[in-house]
Amino acid sequence: MEQLIEQLKQQIIEALNFEDMTPEDINTDAPLFGEGLGLDSIDALELIMLMDREYGIKLADPKQGKAIFASVRTMAEYIQANRTK
Amino acid sequence: MRIAITGIGVVSAIGMNCAETLQSLLDERSGIGTMHILGSRHTELPVGEVPLSDAQLKQLAGIPADEPMPRTSLLGIIAAREALQQAFGSPSSAFDFRPSTFDSIAFISGTTVGGMDLTEQHWQDYHEGKATECIPLHEAGESTNAIARHLAFTFHLSPFTLIATPSTACSSALNAIMLGANLLRTGQTKATLVGGAESLSLFHLNGFNTLMILDHEPCRPFDATRNGLNLGEGAGYLLLENEEDAIARGATILGYIGGYANTCDAYHQTASSDNGEGAYLAMSKALNMAGLQPADIDYVNAHGTATPNNDLSESAALRRVFGDKMPAVSSTKAFTGHTTSASGGIEAVICALAIQHGFIPANLNWSHTAEGLIQPVIHTGHRPLSHVLCNAFGFGGNESSLIISAKGIELSEATMIQLPNEQINVQMVNDEMVNGFVSPAEARRMTPQTRRIVAAARRAIAESGVTPEAIVCATQWGCMAQSMQFLQDMLARNEQQLKPTPFMQSTHNTVASTIAILTANHGYNATYSQGKQSLTCAMADIRSQMSLGMIRSALVLEFDEQVEAWDNVLGNIGDCTQNIARATIYKANN
Repeated sequence: MEQLIEQLKQQIIEALNFEDMTPEDINTDAPLFGEGLGLDSIDALELIMLMDREYGIKLADPKQGKAIFASVRTMAEYIQANRTK
Repeated sequence: MRIAITGIGVVSAIGMNCAETLQSLLDERSGIGTMHILGSRHTELPVGEVPLSDAQLKQLAGIPADEPMPRTSLLGIIAAREALQQAFGSPSSAFDFRPSTFDSIAFISGTTVGGMDLTEQHWQDYHEGKATECIPLHEAGESTNAIARHLAFTFHLSPFTLIATPSTACSSALNAIMLGANLLRTGQTKATLVGGAESLSLFHLNGFNTLMILDHEPCRPFDATRNGLNLGEGAGYLLLENEEDAIARGATILGYIGGYANTCDAYHQTASSDNGEGAYLAMSKALNMAGLQPADIDYVNAHGTATPNNDLSESAALRRVFGDKMPAVSSTKAFTGHTTSASGGIEAVICALAIQHGFIPANLNWSHTAEGLIQPVIHTGHRPLSHVLCNAFGFGGNESSLIISAKGIELSEATMIQLPNEQINVQMVNDEMVNGFVSPAEARRMTPQTRRIVAAARRAIAESGVTPEAIVCATQWGCMAQSMQFLQDMLARNEQQLKPTPFMQSTHNTVASTIAILTANHGYNATYSQGKQSLTCAMADIRSQMSLGMIRSALVLEFDEQVEAWDNVLGNIGDCTQNIARATIYKANN
């Protein structure tokens, strides 16, 4: 799980173009949206695409993302449970 | 001056001309259905296609089968020809009787897709040195030039007084109508053919798909169950001239331009604000210009795309303008699909037809009311209309409203053309200069060249101390780095698993709207793409507005970016892209 979390942080940084950030800058349990990194609706779509491209998970409804993307940990748990690759 | 509409022309999924369009509206017959022409793998998405192939459109437009022509231009030619014919008669009779207006026409046509369809089809060819005659047509402005050349030839027109291509995504055509009206009011042209054209493309079908706002069912504007838009295509144009000229030459007047405004929501690149601030401002300013009260409006042709966000935001804006006395409102996008850059032209023609024939078009597919949403008109109903309001909103919160009236409305004129005073000119050459003007968080979705223009703009604003009332961008190729990234990704991945950010950032107006969002500027916002004439068009716009007292200051942005992927294509025709990032603040003379 810890390995997946580290890998996911790196993938988030790349997908969302946080050029000057490192995985250490992201708190595993902090909210991704709202305060935290200040992400918006387009970032949510990028995270949906990240899960599709990297883990073979397809979300049909962007509204599902809200709970999944609560934090890096919740996202990693969802990936762990639903990944197809 | 009263600006008369003396010709209208339209083509979309519900008709190849005004008569067919009118019949479909009266019969409540939608044009949205299964995809037959576009050739995308996403056949699960319903679209509003014009049901003719490019070859069939060429035949209809009288263009040789082997002449390269974007589908956008083909649709544009068919609609523009109808508007000119209605105003002046068929090409042969128009040649016999030649009114003075005929020698002084400006052609202002909005598009964003331009010749993207040809680039998609020939991407591989270009890399093998084939089909190179299609390459220049990629440019939005060149797709307009292709329409202009054909019209000039067919109707034996004198050279157009101006050819301009506003490219502000889905509000492009309404912005074209505004520039055309301003050119008339400042006496820079005797007539103006205004509107927009846009074909479907794999590029923007896939782009909207990455935003997850395409409904897999026919769209349901303002309905509780709405789940996104259906894309459509087409073109719509109006021929505008001074009422006195129209009467003098015995033309039939179909309606009048009552008022108009463009503002920026300054909220987000693809989302509208909860309270619909930009839309509220656009509608309010248009009413103010026309000297009308909200209660004078009989019908609103809403933008009404049927995305959850747009319809809620537009409803909030409509409530703020009209309060409890909501006029009849409908979105005609359930008929035509969302025809993006052409939508303002097509829907302005629909409004002109509604006034002419005394009816309110239905908002098809509506059945469920919901908290916060306005309740639209669900069946086409006959009644006389005095004033109608037409909305078109684009990416970056580019919000435009136009009022079309049955009776003439007096609009102010300017006899002196103002030459704006240049205050300050900032050209970004050194990336060191970017630091301090663009934060890392702001920069993360920008290309290096976008960062430079944003920094130049901020520096120009800071050093001049001017809060510009207009932000106008001039660009030949637009945001080409992001466009090429999305295009190549789309072709390589066979239209699957695409990232939304490059598409969101790919529109020509991205630069102007980004600066408006970052500086919370709700003023006028526009972009022109017209080859080496792009800056001329931008200056014609701000000069007209300053002369009319509509704005007192403006930020003009010159933007283009060097992109290797496109240089590999342009090399075939001995051309290349270049980095340009210049921001200039102008003030009115008085």
